[in-house]
Amino acid sequence: MSALVTALRSIVGDEACLSGPEELFVYECDGLTLHSGEPLAVVLPRSRDEVQQVVRSCREHGVAFVPRGAGTGLSGGALADGGVVIECSRMNRIVEVNAADRYAIVEPGVVNADLSKATASVGLFYAPDPSSQQVCTIGGNVAENSGGPHTLKYGTTTDHVLALELVLPSGEVVELGSTAGFAPGFDLVGAVVGSEGTLGIVTQATVKLVPLPERVETLLAIFPDVVAACRCVAEIIESGLVPAALEIMDRRTIAAVEASVYRAGLPTDAGAVLLVELDGPAVVLPDQVARIREIAARASASRVEVAQDDAERQRMWRARKGSFGAMGRLAPDLYVHDAVVPRSALPEVLAAVCAIGDRYGLKLSNVFHAGDGNLHPNISFDRRDADELARVVAAGAEILKVCVDAGGVITGEHGIGSEKRDFMGMVFSDDDLDAMRRLHDAFNPDGLCNPGKVFPTTRFCVESDPKARGYDRVPFDG
Amino acid sequence: MTSSELDRYRELLGADGVAEHAALELAGAEFELTLKPNDGAALAALLAQLAENGRRALVRGGGGRVESGNALRGADVLLATDRLTGVMEFEAAEGVCRVAAGTTLAELRSRVNAAGWEVPLDPPGARTTVGGAIAAAAIGPRALGHGPVRRAVLGLEVALASGERTRCGGRVVKNVTGFDMGKLYTGSFGALGVIESAWLRLRPLPRSRRCFEVRASDPEVALRAGLAASRRDSAAVAAVRLPVPNTGEAAVWVEFAGDARSVDRDADWLCGEWRAQVAPADLVDRVRELQAELPGDTGLRFRIAVVASRAPALHAELRAGGAETLGYPGLNVVYAGFRLPPGEPAAAASAAFACASRAAQAAGGDAICERAPVWAKAGREMFGDVAGRLGLFAKLKQGFDPQGVLNPGFFAGGL
Repeated sequence: MSALVTALRSIVGDEACLSGPEELFVYECDGLTLHSGEPLAVVLPRSRDEVQQVVRSCREHGVAFVPRGAGTGLSGGALADGGVVIECSRMNRIVEVNAADRYAIVEPGVVNADLSKATASVGLFYAPDPSSQQVCTIGGNVAENSGGPHTLKYGTTTDHVLALELVLPSGEVVELGSTAGFAPGFDLVGAVVGSEGTLGIVTQATVKLVPLPERVETLLAIFPDVVAACRCVAEIIESGLVPAALEIMDRRTIAAVEASVYRAGLPTDAGAVLLVELDGPAVVLPDQVARIREIAARASASRVEVAQDDAERQRMWRARKGSFGAMGRLAPDLYVHDAVVPRSALPEVLAAVCAIGDRYGLKLSNVFHAGDGNLHPNISFDRRDADELARVVAAGAEILKVCVDAGGVITGEHGIGSEKRDFMGMVFSDDDLDAMRRLHDAFNPDGLCNPGKVFPTTRFCVESDPKARGYDRVPFDG
Repeated sequence: MTSSELDRYRELLGADGVAEHAALELAGAEFELTLKPNDGAALAALLAQLAENGRRALVRGGGGRVESGNALRGADVLLATDRLTGVMEFEAAEGVCRVAAGTTLAELRSRVNAAGWEVPLDPPGARTTVGGAIAAAAIGPRALGHGPVRRAVLGLEVALASGERTRCGGRVVKNVTGFDMGKLYTGSFGALGVIESAWLRLRPLPRSRRCFEVRASDPEVALRAGLAASRRDSAAVAAVRLPVPNTGEAAVWVEFAGDARSVDRDADWLCGEWRAQVAPADLVDRVRELQAELPGDTGLRFRIAVVASRAPALHAELRAGGAETLGYPGLNVVYAGFRLPPGEPAAAASAAFACASRAAQAAGGDAICERAPVWAKAGREMFGDVAGRLGLFAKLKQGFDPQGVLNPGFFAGGL
C-alpha cells in the first residue's frame, strides 16, 4: 500500500478509502465508457475538513486529485487515471431550506431530484433537471453547468447558483458569491460553475429555489420527419413563445422506447415527435396551447395530443427521459453526443447529421433539447467491433464540424472533459484558449486538480486520428 | 507624451481616433489625450502599443460609471469605445444579436424592438453603451423581469491588455464549451480586458405592460407590498421608495408585463389587495432616473444586496443613518443615497460609509459604493468587503493584465 493511501485512510477511515482493484474498477470511467483509466484510490469524505485534508495530502505526494459526484457525466470529466478520486456522495445533507428567501444550502452530494422533493411542500423547486436527475448530484451539476429539458425557460445550473464554498487546489477554503446575489468583485461563482472540477472542489452550494408553476400543459405533436419537427421548433421560438421545454425524439428513438419498459404509446410510424411543455399562470396557458397547435399544424404535424391529467403527462415524459435507457436494446454501447446549433439551423443540421450516420452505416438516433438547439445524436454500437468503433469516432467528429460550421459549439451540457478537449481548436483560437488558461492558472497553477480536462493536448486535425483523442486506451474486453 | 508616440497612435487609429484636449479630470486622474479605436483590430493593436509604451488607460463607454470604483492609481490616456459601434448581426428568428461594445443601448433597442424583441439590459443613462453595461454588470429596474446582466450575455469578444483578441461563448443560447469566461468579464469593470463586441440573448417584447403605484405611511407595509408584487407571475418592476420627498410616505412602483391575461390578473390583485392606483406609462423611466440620481447633485450612493427577509431592517438602519432608499425587493437590492452637506462633507461622508457598512453587515449583505466624489474615496474600498477573495482577484489581475495597463487601481482591492 502506498504512503499516500495510508495517509488517506487516516483521514477518511478505512471503509471510506477504496484501493483494491475490484473496488477501483467501477471508478475507471464515468458515463463516457469510451475513456477509462484506473485511479490510485477513491476516497469518500464526509466533510469539508476531510476534503481539505485529502487535497493537502495529495499535494504532499504530488498526486493528482479528481472530484466526482455520481459519475453520470458524459465527457470523461471524472476520469482519474492514476490519481485520487474524491467522491462527494457522502456529503449529502440539505443544510438549509429557506422558503421565505427562496434558497437552499446543500452539500455537493445531494441528489438533484431529492432537493426538489424536499422543497415541494413549501411550493418551491430546484429548476435544473438533467436527464440523470434521479442520481446525479448538485456538486456534479455545478462542475458541469448541467442543463436539462426545462433549461429553455429556467436556465442552466449557472443561473441558479448563488454562492459556493470551495476547497481550492492549494487546500485553502474560500467562499464565493453571496446568498443575495450581486457579490462585489469578479464573478467567481460564474467562473467556477462549468469549470469541470478543474478550479477546486465544491463542498457547499447555495442555490436558488423557484416557485412551482400554477399550471402545466404538456403536448405531444406528431410529425412525418425530424426536419419538420425542427421547423416547428424554429417557428415557436420566432413567435416569441417561451415554453418550459421543447424536446424532439426521432423515429429510431421512438421505436427503441416503444420496445422497452419506458413504452408510452408513441406512434411508431411517426418520423418524429415534439414534446412541448408550457407552464405558468392558468389564465394564459389555454391561449398558448392554441398557438402551439396552430404552429404545429402549419409545420405539418399530423396531430397534437394534449395531456389530460398528470398521469398522461408523466407517460409522455417517461418516454423522453427513458429514451437513453431504451437505447440499450439497440446495441451494447451508446455514444451520447452533445452539440449546440442556432435554432434556426436545426432543420439543415439535423438532415446533415442523419446523412452522416447513414454514410458511416451507424445506428444513429436523435433525442434532444430542440428549444435550446442542443442536439444529442446518439450512436448505438458495439465497441468490441474495432471497425464500428472507428466509424463512431469519425462520424462524431464530422457531426461536430457540421455543428460548428452552422455557427454552433461542440457541447451544450455534457462538457469538454477528456472527450472533446482536442476539438476545442474547432471553436477557439490559441489566444482564446490562453485566456481560459489564465483563469485556470489563477486557481490551479500546477494542474494537480483534475488534470487532462478541457484543454487540448494537441491542436491540429485530431478528428481524423482516434489515437489523438485517447481512444487508443479504450479497453477491449471482447 | 512625445510626438512620435502620438504619431504611432494616429497610425494605428487614424487621425479621427486621436484627440488631444484640455485637461479632463476623471476618477482621480487627469487626461489630455483620448484614443478612440474604430474596430476590434485597432483596439487590440492600441492595447499592445500602450503596453509596449508602458502607458495606462482608463477605459470609458458612455461614461456613466466613472464615478464608481476606486480612485485611479494614475492613468495616462482615456480609451473611449464610442467609435466601436453598430449592430453587427441580428437574428430576428432567434432573438439573438451581436453588437459592438460602444453601441448605446438606446440604439440597439431601436433596432430590435421593431422586430418584436427587447434588450434585457436597462441600466440608467441615455448614453450607456452595451460594453459599459456588461463591464459594470449595471442593472436597472427591469432586471427583475429580465434577470441579471450575466444571463443576457451569450458571448463576448474581448481584447486583452497585451493585445490579443479573444472570444468566448457565442451566438447559441446554451453552451458549456470551455470555461464560462463571459461570467468573469461581466462586472469586471474592464480590469481584465476591453470588450469589443457581445452576443446578447434578447427577450420577446411583452404583449402588455401596465404600471401602478401604492402609497403607504408605514415603510414595512410598503416593503411587504413591493415584495409580494415582485413575486407575481408578470412582475417586471417592483420598486419601493422610502420616503417620497415632501410627503413622508413610502411609494411602491410596479410594472406588470407579459401576456395580457396574466398582467390583468396581477393588476386586479394589486388593486384589490393593496389599493394600487394606475400609474403613467413612463413610470419605469422615472424609477430608472431616480436610481441614477439618488441622492441628488452631490452625495454618496451605495448598492446593498440582502435577502428579502432582511430588507426591512436594512432600510430602517439606513434611514436612521440619514439615507433615502430605493429598494428592488425581488432583486434583493437596496440603493441608499446620502447627501453631503456643504459645511462638513468629509464628516458626513465618513458617517455615510460607516452607516452603509454597518447596515449591510447587520443584514448579512454586501455593500458597494456606486457613486462618490474622488476625495471621499481616499483610503476606502468602494467594493466593500472582498477580503476573503482578494487573493484570487489579484492572481486573475496579474494573469490577465500583469503590467496594470487597464484601469489601474479602479477595481476591487485597488487592482
